Amino acid sequence: MTGFDQLVRGFTVALSWKGLLYCFIGCLWGTIVGVLPGLGPLAGMTLLLPLTFGLDPTIGIIMLTGIFYGAMYGGSTTSILVRIPGEAASVVTCIDGYEMARQGRAGPALMIAAVGSFIGGTVSVLGLMFIAPPLAKVMIAIGPSVEVVLMLLALFVISIVSAGSRVKTATMVVLGLLLGTIGLDNLTGVARFTFGSPELSGGLSFAALAIGLFGLSEILVNLEKTETIKAIRPKLRDLIPRWNDVRDSAPAVGRGSVIGFIFGIIPGVSHVVSTFVSYAVEKRLSKHPEQFGKGAIAGVAGPETANNAVTGTAMIPLLALGIPSIPATALLLSALTIHGVQPGPLLLSDRPEVFWGLVASMYIGNVILLTLNLPLVGIFVNLLRIPYQWLVTAILVISIIGVYSVNSSVVDIWIMVISGGIGYVLRKLGYEMAPLLLALVLGDRLEGNFRLALTMSGGSYATFLDSASVAVLGSVLGLLLLVQALAWLFGYRKSVTDEAERP
Amino acid sequence: MADQAPTTDHAQESASRERRAFPWLIGARRGGFIAAGALALTGLVFAWQAARLDLGQLGLPGPGFFPLALSLLLVLFSGVIALAGWLAAAKDEPLEFGHPQVLITLAALLAVPILFEPLGALIALGLLTAALLVFIARVSLLLAIMWSALGMAACWYLFQELLGVRLPMGPF
Repeated sequence: MTGFDQLVRGFTVALSWKGLLYCFIGCLWGTIVGVLPGLGPLAGMTLLLPLTFGLDPTIGIIMLTGIFYGAMYGGSTTSILVRIPGEAASVVTCIDGYEMARQGRAGPALMIAAVGSFIGGTVSVLGLMFIAPPLAKVMIAIGPSVEVVLMLLALFVISIVSAGSRVKTATMVVLGLLLGTIGLDNLTGVARFTFGSPELSGGLSFAALAIGLFGLSEILVNLEKTETIKAIRPKLRDLIPRWNDVRDSAPAVGRGSVIGFIFGIIPGVSHVVSTFVSYAVEKRLSKHPEQFGKGAIAGVAGPETANNAVTGTAMIPLLALGIPSIPATALLLSALTIHGVQPGPLLLSDRPEVFWGLVASMYIGNVILLTLNLPLVGIFVNLLRIPYQWLVTAILVISIIGVYSVNSSVVDIWIMVISGGIGYVLRKLGYEMAPLLLALVLGDRLEGNFRLALTMSGGSYATFLDSASVAVLGSVLGLLLLVQALAWLFGYRKSVTDEAERP
Repeated sequence: MADQAPTTDHAQESASRERRAFPWLIGARRGGFIAAGALALTGLVFAWQAARLDLGQLGLPGPGFFPLALSLLLVLFSGVIALAGWLAAAKDEPLEFGHPQVLITLAALLAVPILFEPLGALIALGLLTAALLVFIARVSLLLAIMWSALGMAACWYLFQELLGVRLPMGPF
């Protein structure tokens, strides 16, 4: 069966009534969590995870992925209308998006952001479709030692590209790996750090930790803020951009697609980094850089396109290698495993309907989001009128039920609450949570492959430096260094600092 | 004079903050040391437990090898963080911890796993909802009870009936 036949088969799954319904639910919920400050795609996906348990794995993953890219669309709405980023990847959009809204041009900003998101998202799905299958074929041929090298490389890169302290990020990676060792040892069946608790023998619940460290800690930090939200309300007829807006934003959309696509391979914070780089590139290439920060439409078009272009690329390491690169794809990995589907090189040959159904649904989802976001922007903005304390109450109740329903265990609620409290303290002290979660997901496989590779080589550590490992290490490292050099060249860190210093 | 007014206000605000029990003001440097200490302690506990497992050999690691190596790495990194904090400039901005709304939310959440099975999920979560609405959202008790009852009815229908999630029902 050719790739085209597989894609057609994927569309039959995605265009079934169930595929469409759950894709729509995912996109709608994703937009809502993207709009609401304090709820990102990860928390949004975890909350609806229980909903997928009774579904076919492909349909379940279609819905969860819809939340992921839907949140990227929704995040721009609050950035433009309220100057509060709905999620981290929309921080840059606040700068010029809100300025445009203040000048009475919220409509064109929203329209360009939505169209750019659509184009970026579609381009990245094309990349996913063409890159993942050949990459998976290469990966099938490699052994556990190369997989160890790849995973170590991913964790190393996460520590390097972090916007915060590198040693703190590395500490979070080590802590995540250590927490991942809790439970039964996969090779010998020996219980580790379970303290006799049968609930811990399966390891710490990823959903409970994800909700605690990401969702709950974010809520606790936000509860300290007391400012009221005042949104600018655009009229539907004002959405149509002027010719000048289209002319200025078209190249930015093109560059944003490429930047997002390239940066999607960086593990850790690629969706955030890509937006800063895109903004810096647009400012540098603009004939009127002085307009940036005062309502330049290219400052909205580029970053919004880039953060959506990341979504498809971020799926490549997950689906082709079984290695998540950002927290949202780590949750997808966890969800696929719960459904008995193992992401990785064999996914395309063993469960092609999952891969191609997902690819097809991402095309459809981008169309749904484009048509959903613009006419309903008024309704989404109204969500911000709900007092935050009321939202928190509802979110916490749903989170607790969601966390409990994964394993039907009260221990998971304890894990969620305690990790939320710890996450709150660590966040305030400048520690990032994403590296911890990624390391937690990878830890089990890293150790398993590490020990397996040593067993296969008769205890020789030289196995990690064989020709295949060196080739993979060299090429990936070279590519990452190139991307990192580009990021530094265009002043990613400076952009972060500038943004942090803005009043 | 005009310039002095905000300074005075600021000084008064700082003084009143210092008098309040919550939130606690902790210097970023001191907080960093405490966090590094807690992380190092975590590493030491894991290292102690891992050392009791079979470590195997360097070429054929046992179940305790990987966690032991990671624990020691955690202790090492914590030390580096503490050292970096020690060597850092004297700038020590205060950080606020334990905002009353945060403490109330955490306290209410800690009660949930205790009550979840004995009272049942819906009653435990109903109590959480009412407590948060009264103490965080500042609504009247009557309104909070009404909203929490409505919310729990919606949860029961959505999760139990529509999604088939099995929640503990407590004494009922």
